[in-house]
Amino acid sequence: MAAKAKAVKVAAPKLSWKRDFQRNWPVYVLFLPAFLYTLVLNYTPLVGLLMAFENYSQARGLFGSQWVGFQNFIDLFTGEEFFRALKNTVIISTLKCTIGFIMPIGFALVLSLVRNKKFKRITQTFSYMPNFIAAVVVVALVQNFLSDHGAITMLLAKFGLPVQNWLANPDVPVFWVIYLVMGIWQGLGWGSIMYVSAIATVSGDLHEAAAIDGATRMQRLFKITLPCIRPMIVMMFVIGVGINFIAGFDTILLMYMPSTYEVADTLYTYTYRMAFAAGASNYGLSTASGLFQSIVATTLLVGSNAISRKMGESSLF
Amino acid sequence: MMQKAKAKKVKKYKMEEYTPSMIENPSVVDRVVDVVVILICILVAFCSFIPMWHVAMSSLSNGKLLITHEGLVLLPIGEWTLAGYQHLFKNSGILQGYANSLINTAAATGLGFAISAVTGYALSRQTRLKGVMTAFIMFPMLFSGGLVPTYMVIRSLGWVGTRWALIIPGCTNAMFSIMMMNAYNSVPASLYEAARIDGASHFRTMLQVMLPQAMNMGSVMILQTVVAQWNSWLNAKIYVPNNKALWPLQLWINTIVADNENFLRTANPDYGRYLIQYAVIMAATLPLLVTFPFFQDKLEHAVIGGGVKG
Repeated sequence: MAAKAKAVKVAAPKLSWKRDFQRNWPVYVLFLPAFLYTLVLNYTPLVGLLMAFENYSQARGLFGSQWVGFQNFIDLFTGEEFFRALKNTVIISTLKCTIGFIMPIGFALVLSLVRNKKFKRITQTFSYMPNFIAAVVVVALVQNFLSDHGAITMLLAKFGLPVQNWLANPDVPVFWVIYLVMGIWQGLGWGSIMYVSAIATVSGDLHEAAAIDGATRMQRLFKITLPCIRPMIVMMFVIGVGINFIAGFDTILLMYMPSTYEVADTLYTYTYRMAFAAGASNYGLSTASGLFQSIVATTLLVGSNAISRKMGESSLF
Repeated sequence: MMQKAKAKKVKKYKMEEYTPSMIENPSVVDRVVDVVVILICILVAFCSFIPMWHVAMSSLSNGKLLITHEGLVLLPIGEWTLAGYQHLFKNSGILQGYANSLINTAAATGLGFAISAVTGYALSRQTRLKGVMTAFIMFPMLFSGGLVPTYMVIRSLGWVGTRWALIIPGCTNAMFSIMMMNAYNSVPASLYEAARIDGASHFRTMLQVMLPQAMNMGSVMILQTVVAQWNSWLNAKIYVPNNKALWPLQLWINTIVADNENFLRTANPDYGRYLIQYAVIMAATLPLLVTFPFFQDKLEHAVIGGGVKG
């Protein structure tokens, strides 16, 4: 994404500021709506981050509230709920970055082995369907299928697992598995698009040469296709590391319940609850927790990008 | 002529299909791989499809029998009925939600498209501030203020509890502007220069010369926004939680599914009401599921070209 923006950079003839403005002022006017939009909706909230350092009260406003320094962070890091949320966030995003990351690649490789193009296309169309289903509906489906007379509960019962409402089960891997499988179900086909297109660009000559030398399809899959799409895989991983730490947790707001907070509460849901749950509205603490998450996500993204670049792999910026 | 072209196409297709297998020795392992691959594909297709099929068939079932039914519903349980949909159309809240979703989606898509089309143009021109403007647009992707500070900004704008809060935040994003910039950049420079030399203003050049050329990416962006807006619920939950008249369809679904057990406690429950949750899911999801295969190529193109999902 960002790499593309870089590629089209052409050396501009340097004009003086005055000439530039005389010639290009309409362009700057056209930029104005986006400038205002971004300024108000993306940059002004950064000023609001000051709330993390004060005992915010609605009546006194952002600049009138009492400054408390790092008290909110101290409260945050000494509170039990925060560490529970941090632990769950780390575990869930690690699962998404590993198993959840590998599945679409595997699916794309499987698709590349399909001989019949029409069959491949139909499979793809079906696999995209879940991507278009709203989060609210996906959660409703999960609730339905995992309820005490749901289809998956019944299937699991055949393997000797107890009949129960699985979403209400606070035992350790249950919620994590549900959330991970839900994400894979929704993103498998859609996530594979990038890899399928990368596989399509692998030169047919390579495959032909290998086939003539007697390489089987499986050998070619692992020795030709996979190495060829490696830069794409690394790039997607670099993006995923930061994103997975911050995005997608809003769905948990729809699925968790007080009895499963122990395994399902994440930084995002904790931040949300501190601010918007009935009666709570501890804005200072919530902002501190949100800020913490933002910083970690940005660090992860920049860090994984730097590591990837150092290792001579593709990088975003 | 047509036939000739067709014959040529078929021949080419065949070549593609058979060349690799001609030089290959189809071994036993190969055959096993083929079978496993097909089985995996069928399994994925089945798993992707069956949950919505289950909902569709449940929505046509007999409510009283459905409640006690265990497992998948592959065909309507009992005599099939449209009772759920009848309840749906009698529920003014849901209909209002449907209208809200349509209004929000249309407004946000239009506004978002206008902003990113114009911004992409501004970013694609060779101005001295080009780099600064691009950085300005892209920085928020790297670091954002988060939930509460954004809420505070929306509140001080006076948008909490109004439709603006559902339309304006999230109608566009930095990625879309960058995608449009790339689309404008790939328009041949001579087209732009010709228009400018003929005396067209920047605005006119953008609207009449550049935008039509960039519309391929533009339409992809529109499709993405439509899907995202139609399916959005979080903004409504944060900004208009108490104003049911503004609730989009998704928030109604959430509430209806959550509240569904309550009606059973009444003395003589109308089991048709149990079906309403399935009916509303169908009503909200079917339009997208039916339309997307027609735009499949375009949408795929968007993922490859922009990585918008990430």
